[in-house]
Amino acid sequence: MRTIRYSVLAMALAFTTFIAAKAQTADEVIQKHITAIGGADNWKKIKSVKMQGTANAGGMEMPLSIAILDKKGMKVEYTINGMTGYSILTNKAGWNFNPFQGAKKAEALTDEMVKEGQTGLDIAGPLVDYKAKGNTVAFLGKDDVEGTECYKLKVTHPTGKSETIFIDAATYYHIRSVEKIKADGKEMEQISTFGNYKKLPEGIMWPMSIDMGGGGPMDVKSVDINKGVDEAMFVPKG
Amino acid sequence: MKKQIVLLAVAALQAAAYGQTKVNSYTFGAMEARWLGPGTMSGRITAIEGVNKDSKTLYVGSAGGGVWKTTNAGASFKPIFDKYCMSIGCIAIDQSHPETVFVGTGESNMRNSVSVGDGIYMTTDAGDNWVKVGLDSTEHISKIIIDPKNPQNVYAAAPGPLWSNSKHRGLYKSTDGGQTWNKIFYINEKTGCADVAVDPEHPDVIYATTWEFRRFPYAFNSGGKGSGMWKSADGGKTWRELKDGLPPKPFGRIALTLAPSAPQNMIAIVESKETGLYISADGGEHWKSQSATVNVVSRPFYFSCLVIDPKDPKRVYRPGFGFSYSDDGGYSFADASYEGGWVHSDHHALWINPNYTNQMYLGTDGGVYYSLDRGATWMFVYNLPVGQFYHVACDNNTPYRMYGGLQDNGSWVAPSAAPGGVNNSNWQNMYGGDGFWTVPDLTDKNIAYAEAQGGNMGRVDLTTYKSVDITPQKGSGEEKLRWNWNTPIVTGQSNNHHLYTAAQYLYKTTDQGRSWARISPDLSTNDKKKQEQEASGGLSEDNTSAENHCTIFTLAESPLNDNMIWAGTDDGNLQLTTDGGKNWTNTAKNYVAAGIPAQTWVSSIEPSRFDKNTVYATFDNHMYGDMKTFLAKSTDAGKTWKMLSSPEFTGFAHKIKEDLVNKNLLFLGTERGLFATIDGGESWFRMKNHIPDYAIVRDIQIQPQTNDLVLATHGRGIMVVNDISPIRSLTPEIAGKDVVLFENKPMPVTTGRFGGGGSPVSGGWWGGNPDDIEPISYYLKERASQDVKVEIYDAAGKLVQQVPGTKRKGINKVYWNLRWTPPKTATGGSKLDYGSFIAPQVLPGTYMVKLKVGEKEYTNQLKMVHNTDNKLFTEDDRKEQYKAGMDLYHMHEQLYTLVDKINADQKMIKTNLDSVNKPQSKKILNEYNTKLETLRGTLLATKHASMFADEKKLREEITEVYSSVCSQECRPTNLQTGRIANLNEELKQSSVAYEKINTEYKTKAAQAVKEGKPRPAASGAVHSN
Repeated sequence: MRTIRYSVLAMALAFTTFIAAKAQTADEVIQKHITAIGGADNWKKIKSVKMQGTANAGGMEMPLSIAILDKKGMKVEYTINGMTGYSILTNKAGWNFNPFQGAKKAEALTDEMVKEGQTGLDIAGPLVDYKAKGNTVAFLGKDDVEGTECYKLKVTHPTGKSETIFIDAATYYHIRSVEKIKADGKEMEQISTFGNYKKLPEGIMWPMSIDMGGGGPMDVKSVDINKGVDEAMFVPKG
Repeated sequence: MKKQIVLLAVAALQAAAYGQTKVNSYTFGAMEARWLGPGTMSGRITAIEGVNKDSKTLYVGSAGGGVWKTTNAGASFKPIFDKYCMSIGCIAIDQSHPETVFVGTGESNMRNSVSVGDGIYMTTDAGDNWVKVGLDSTEHISKIIIDPKNPQNVYAAAPGPLWSNSKHRGLYKSTDGGQTWNKIFYINEKTGCADVAVDPEHPDVIYATTWEFRRFPYAFNSGGKGSGMWKSADGGKTWRELKDGLPPKPFGRIALTLAPSAPQNMIAIVESKETGLYISADGGEHWKSQSATVNVVSRPFYFSCLVIDPKDPKRVYRPGFGFSYSDDGGYSFADASYEGGWVHSDHHALWINPNYTNQMYLGTDGGVYYSLDRGATWMFVYNLPVGQFYHVACDNNTPYRMYGGLQDNGSWVAPSAAPGGVNNSNWQNMYGGDGFWTVPDLTDKNIAYAEAQGGNMGRVDLTTYKSVDITPQKGSGEEKLRWNWNTPIVTGQSNNHHLYTAAQYLYKTTDQGRSWARISPDLSTNDKKKQEQEASGGLSEDNTSAENHCTIFTLAESPLNDNMIWAGTDDGNLQLTTDGGKNWTNTAKNYVAAGIPAQTWVSSIEPSRFDKNTVYATFDNHMYGDMKTFLAKSTDAGKTWKMLSSPEFTGFAHKIKEDLVNKNLLFLGTERGLFATIDGGESWFRMKNHIPDYAIVRDIQIQPQTNDLVLATHGRGIMVVNDISPIRSLTPEIAGKDVVLFENKPMPVTTGRFGGGGSPVSGGWWGGNPDDIEPISYYLKERASQDVKVEIYDAAGKLVQQVPGTKRKGINKVYWNLRWTPPKTATGGSKLDYGSFIAPQVLPGTYMVKLKVGEKEYTNQLKMVHNTDNKLFTEDDRKEQYKAGMDLYHMHEQLYTLVDKINADQKMIKTNLDSVNKPQSKKILNEYNTKLETLRGTLLATKHASMFADEKKLREEITEVYSSVCSQECRPTNLQTGRIANLNEELKQSSVAYEKINTEYKTKAAQAVKEGKPRPAASGAVHSN
């Protein structure tokens, strides 16, 4: 824990000049971003979300669904050729079930992967109420994502995990995240790209295109907010 | 007046529109460069530092390729410094908080070709983000040391500028963890600080060595009054010189180190009239001369690395020309073994794992090695593509080959594409020494020309790599030939049979170097004051031909006239002949009139291929301390010149290249970046498409058949931007539109150029292949905020496939696999059927591309043609293949429908079984289900889930043939065709069997359900499907 605290401190120190000059700007960017996506109040009302969509692999459409119960659990399900695999993450454990190559039951995630994944259970994301969540945000000026000018924010979670968030300087939408995942003696980088924002009846802007790299983006066809996600679905079966 | 106002307003609007849509670095961001390497021959490594705590996180600094990081002890590396200066002097990790790392830019191995830095950078998140914290003008930084007891104290040794006097040199200190820096020790404008050491037990005790040195374009001096060894006992406030036991001054460069486990024990290599090794056992107060091997004391200006084991004060390492180690504190040395293979000479960096001191990483002029036996033997790290090319050339083969020469690492050739992608094994060494120009003979594909330093050149037989010496010889009455370090060898652009090379004279051959004709007088200034290379080096003589001067450095034959030849010299002459060398005109004064300094190196000349009187040239004045970017154009054959400049430019200029098709498209390579213009040089932008922002770009070629942009970088190997056609076609008018769908040329239907190749091996470097299939390209003025899709339709208007589109600002590239949408295959089996991923390729014909951006649609015709490259696959074969593929496709869909019906029936039976209680009803339903299940079990794998257990039923049988037929370029064999017919028959029989079961049971089951329920069923209906 000491090292974690230090890294936060070191970050603060290194960017002292930045922060001194732009502390206001960092908060301004976050504030404008939150306003642009519907306001903190609307986001804080979200207790669960269920997304249905598809991903496209060489023309083959793969149905995909993501259900999240805020801060409690998440399940991603995907169906290929009538077979359904899934990943489950709760605040205590996690599993992958990949039947496509013959697995008959879900395989547990390591403790470290579960810990690293926890930030994904926060539906509102790390910027809404970031201080209350114990997140530190360093404003790293402007950078571009594929040519689009963005504000670059580095969020450090209380666990020490960090992610870099790119906010479109024109729309203030969150268009990319780069997460550093350090687990099981390995270091990985997860790049997620968001687009096609649509306004939901709940007053929030939701990305209808989510690209986690690899098999092409997920086209979100429907989003159900607070329509009930049963915690029982986070128990692996099969 | 009113009209004028309207016109003004229109003009303003147009200007505003263009202003907003200016083509910039990001417009072509999707056209990402491939990094071809090689990794098998890497480049100069200047710094290696590891995180002591985990022993597997290492940062590697290179002479011209930035900083690379591994978090797995070298299994893989990533470049983490690609937005900043590429030349790295040193790296320092705060071991108590290892996410804090400093990088000092500008290497300090002060050879002729050394690159220049721009200060110290710092990260506090292990390299994700960097901030420049100072020393912007020191140009070279040799070492950074962090006080181990108080990491707020950081010391930086800056030798400072190599090519000019400067106050920006000396020892700098930060007392706030690197935020701000103060110069704490300074001798004079000629003397910098070469080395620094901090006593880890008493960190106020600091040692520093000062170094007086200077390079000129034609000589080098190491040594002078300013050089010395110094000690401070108060953290750098006051200094006193250490002399006792050291040789008489003057000194040159001094490498100094202390034993971390016993810091009173020190060792130093002192460059002096008799360079020697010295040891001290009392913190440098008294020194004792040691006998030392040649390797230990050789070339002290270049080899300044000296390391003592972290635990054993007697174990001393001297990475130098070779690798030496001592077990007795430096009294005697042994040399590393070549058991297992040659270890590259010229060593500059060593990191020893303090937790396991047998393990160490060595940085050489040819890359990184690691040892697990304390340096006795070494293994090479093959995945760092940081080679320093001087030039690149391409031939016209398919795929074309790339040729280039590497600093200290010979001449190499590799194909631009290969089965499985270009990897280390595709690179072939073809000539030794330092490599520079390596050019193919475009009239003879088995021949290329290469050279080593000093103008030693050969004709190489590419079938055997045997070479013969073709270096022109000094003639009677001629002066000694002066060959530039980087002697030009150039083929004629107008006449490919012409081969040119040059010392101070220009030579031409038309018979592959079997006979040469001298076609010029001395084209240089022949200034004798610049020709005293034998006295070069300073205290240690060092004359390796690197300082040869008054030579021809660049030359070019006009693509439009083979009698028109340009030659540029390293001392500022720019000469032109228009009669094949009979008469020469020096145009030097003319470019000086345009504002370019006199006596500048003419670094490249590019005669236009659109107008014989138009010529571009770059000029490099950095050896006189002037780092500005000089580029000029003449439209009257050199009589008058106009400087082309841009606020975007950084770094002294190496190469200007005119496009082969679009005369307004130019590329400029400098010491700090690649730049392009699409308006003939009016405005420029930095190319960042997977090219480091400040890449050292020394040469640029455009391969005519593929339109590939091929870059020789001096620190990142060869980079290739595949097919620059989109850059050619992006006019300002197009850039002003919201969305443009580009037209494709007729597109061959192909499965790709190669098969085989396997997977990239671990631990190697892989440069990939160009696109096998031409992408569908479009331009977006702004990043799409809505959904983007690309759809392909056939001539009848049927949707062939939908492909997700990318949304980036600028050019986008989307890849359609030239196939139909895969079929639905039967579901509900025990394993995945990969038939659901496969589709037949489309037939040649006319198709339509529809780009959908939100609600808006853009369409183009797309003509698909038969690929004639594969002579073993005729158009008729393709038709047969297509028919077979589509037959199987439909069979899959029919089987899907059949199995879907069975699945629905079984679902219904299961539901009803739960609701009936009459035994007879249950029996009938069970029988019905069993019959269906027996049939289902013949249609798809239902028993074995394991990928290691084969279970082939009808679905798998269809997929087996389907996959073969669709994934290859071949007419189906007779037995494949026969099997398709058999499987089709089986499918028909299965349908019949299904109908038979239903005929037998459907009514019976409905009746059973009706009778079997305790109460009449609400609907009573039984749905069979």
